[in-house]
Amino acid sequence: MLGTMEPLDEDAQLMSRYRDGDAGAFTALYARHKGPLYRYLLRQVRNAGAAADLFQEVWSRLIANRARYEARAKFATYLFHIAHNCTIDFFRRDRAMSRAARSEDADAPPEAEVPEYQRPDGIAEYAEQQSALLAALGALPQEQREAFLLHEETGLTIEEIARVTQVGLETAKSRLRYAVRKLKKALLPVQIPAARPLRTRTI
Amino acid sequence: MKNTPTRIPPDDLDEYLRGGSALSRHYRKESAPMPPHTLDRGVLQLSRETANGRSPCLAPLAFAASVLLSVAMVLAIVFGPQTARRAEDAPRLVRVVARADTKPRLYSSDPQRARPPSVWLADIAALRRDGRDSEADAEFRRFRSTYPGYSSGRAATLP
Repeated sequence: MLGTMEPLDEDAQLMSRYRDGDAGAFTALYARHKGPLYRYLLRQVRNAGAAADLFQEVWSRLIANRARYEARAKFATYLFHIAHNCTIDFFRRDRAMSRAARSEDADAPPEAEVPEYQRPDGIAEYAEQQSALLAALGALPQEQREAFLLHEETGLTIEEIARVTQVGLETAKSRLRYAVRKLKKALLPVQIPAARPLRTRTI
Repeated sequence: MKNTPTRIPPDDLDEYLRGGSALSRHYRKESAPMPPHTLDRGVLQLSRETANGRSPCLAPLAFAASVLLSVAMVLAIVFGPQTARRAEDAPRLVRVVARADTKPRLYSSDPQRARPPSVWLADIAALRRDGRDSEADAEFRRFRSTYPGYSSGRAATLP
């Protein structure tokens, strides 16, 4: 999916230099991408501890696989493709753990279907859940949230988002469209219904 | 029936993708959390340690070298000293056969076809040094029959 030939961006050159043993190139690369990657992960999983773990995992995978790196696409698509896979693995693990916990507590009264990472203790760590926009972002389905974050945090095009998330172009476009529509709606000021003007009838 | 053109509402997505939308501006105004410094240190340390290790370019070479070394060791074990000894043995057998064929010529009593006396005596002396006295004696008898009047000295004659 990441195989199309594109001109080598500066990040891809840095990554190639790091692959060839230049540690300084990695420092520059890290400085550029650490913020967007961290926010992407944090706002995806909405749990600071889990985001930190995933952050380390993404960079560790990148470092471990550096010898196989080929600058065939924009570096951000490569990095966020790893991040996407780590996030998907995280959600799968989390769902499996939730199921296991539920089966152990079969006698306990049933709880609402809330994923582990969205439970109050996890959300409490997500201290920035303050604004209406971020609250609306958190309420989006994960795929729509991801499409929006990929565009906002990295400037990826729809085609690149489709590559990163391994879906078709139309699917990526549709996800982003829904995300934008819902978030715009959340930004609208709360409309207080205006009082109806009194009608006077002249008899 | 009159066809009224249906007005397509402006697409939220197109407007958003053009950049600079209110939504993007709003998002950028939000806090921009960064990874904690401990994470920075951990990742950068890992990257340095890995970069300072063996260069990935050398990995295939190292692998090839280890394969070559292994193959060389296997060959040395299979075709090593024992095989060399066997190889050494084989020509010796052939030499015996060859000598059998050429025996009349080598040990001919005709002085012109036999080894020169000094060379022959040196060979006999060498056999004695090796402890092969019976062979040396036989050789010496042949030598005597070939060169009856030749003074052989002690080295070849003494057991």
